[in-house]
Amino acid sequence: MKEGWRIAAFAVVIAVLVMALAPYIWIVLTSFKTRLDALADTPVWLFTPTLDHYPEVFIGKGYLPLVWNSAIVAVSTTLLSLAVGAPAAYVFARHRFAGQEDLFFFFLTTRMAPPIAIVVPMFLLFTEIGITDHLIAVIIAHTSFTLSLVVWMMRGFFADIPREVDEAAQMDGLSRAGTFLRVLVPMAAPGLAASAILCFILSWNEFLYAFILVAFEGRTLTVGIPGLITPHGTLWGQVAAVAVVATLPIIAFTVLVQRHLVRGLTFGAVKG
Amino acid sequence: MGSAVLDRYVGVWFLTPALVLLLFILVGPFAFMVWTGFTDLSFALPNRDGNFVGFDNFRRLMRDPLFWDSFLLTVRFMVVAVAIELVLGFAIALLLFHQLERRRLVLTLLMVPMMLAPVAIGLIWKLLLQGDFGMMTYYLRKVGLLGDQQVLLSNPDLVMPAIVAIDVWQWTPFVVLVMLAGLMSLPREPFEAAVMDGARPAQILRDVTLPLLRPIIALVVLLRGIDAFKEFDKVFILTGGGPGTATELLSIYTYRMNFKDWDLGYGAACAFMVYFVVLILCAIFYKAVFWQEGRSRAKGRAGA
Repeated sequence: MKEGWRIAAFAVVIAVLVMALAPYIWIVLTSFKTRLDALADTPVWLFTPTLDHYPEVFIGKGYLPLVWNSAIVAVSTTLLSLAVGAPAAYVFARHRFAGQEDLFFFFLTTRMAPPIAIVVPMFLLFTEIGITDHLIAVIIAHTSFTLSLVVWMMRGFFADIPREVDEAAQMDGLSRAGTFLRVLVPMAAPGLAASAILCFILSWNEFLYAFILVAFEGRTLTVGIPGLITPHGTLWGQVAAVAVVATLPIIAFTVLVQRHLVRGLTFGAVKG
Repeated sequence: MGSAVLDRYVGVWFLTPALVLLLFILVGPFAFMVWTGFTDLSFALPNRDGNFVGFDNFRRLMRDPLFWDSFLLTVRFMVVAVAIELVLGFAIALLLFHQLERRRLVLTLLMVPMMLAPVAIGLIWKLLLQGDFGMMTYYLRKVGLLGDQQVLLSNPDLVMPAIVAIDVWQWTPFVVLVMLAGLMSLPREPFEAAVMDGARPAQILRDVTLPLLRPIIALVVLLRGIDAFKEFDKVFILTGGGPGTATELLSIYTYRMNFKDWDLGYGAACAFMVYFVVLILCAIFYKAVFWQEGRSRAKGRAGA
């Protein structure tokens, strides 16, 4: 009886995994299919692969710079968010001051702010300043939600370090800023790495800000995706190739950051 | 000496850059949005270059049936999608909790859908649901869930359920992940006591597990609710709001007002409404989280 339940449970888990993964596996397969196989009436699971779509879309259609743009935006957003966010997180973890909770709530709302509400005035303001169509516009926009991610996540990691560590460092003659830079930051390095990876993922995956703020030169990979879908004769092999390149680095990163994912995505409310 | 004084106020100058940045990238645009909502700014109509019009846009909003259709559609999408994700995610989390060798591997694989770019998810499902060669269309027809001529994404009656299903596919893993973390953090004593008292598994689930998990459930519901209310990317790629206005969620409607009709004053009023609802949900979320933290702190003190 017990054994029967175990097998049943295992079967359900397998079924859930198939449901979760089959759509993604399908798009990976499609990126290696000839046009004929991709458009077959009956789904084709076994086929002779072709590598044509990747060079066609990335070289032929000039999508390679989009990958580069996405990488620049994601890396810059991450660095900016960490540089500005980690010190702020330290203050929230170690200091007590009037209005602290309100300020913290403000940081929460910035992460939750609906992009569609912010992007329009941001577009008008950036047009005024003249930075639309530059990557800097997207980097700034993305920092609006990654910054609070860093603050929320790193506050938890700094708070996990016992205060005695600070006190010992200051006994040894370090200033508070020195304690933060030379002692706390190295100790919180795993947390910083996790925050960095999550920032990278959020920025890399983001669509609406990048879509509205840049039109030509600075397009990121996600922004390039809709352009590939045409009312008739969409080249699905190429679309799939772009989707695969846009998602593979994220899947690799997810494996790295898995342990801290729950904490990052629930604003530190669940430690995971 | 100067640097010592500087060091005493380390809190101030550690916090200032973050605040200045947010002021520039969020508070500024937010204020500008509110202001625009009170003007007739439009890039498409003549003589509408941002004159102050008071509450005109908001009055128009209140009487705009399309806006309210879209608002109700969004609320319905949010409620139905989150409810299904919650039940399904809790069931899977419970299963994984009582199982399993290789739980880490299963979790890693399960996480794939929620980490993909939402635009890519829209793309994947657009391919799967194509009428003449979509893999999913083929199998749905094969098992009789879909008529021979029916195409999910262009059928006004079926398109919204399809989008809910895709959202469930994407976000159930998140619920599983958080619920599982919650289950693993629960104290053991109440369960042991319940078993000693001879409670059946169903009773334990209802009277012990669920009450203990309440804070986590509240957290998941609010986080997912806020996200679902803002939904844009997937729907934009999948249907663009169509067919007709069958999938025109609030953010898609706001997008259309701003970037198709270029009616920026009215668009800002729409955007304000989205922001307003999200802000309320945020405040509830914050209260719920801090209520939970306050409780655990109190518990820790009682234990010591």
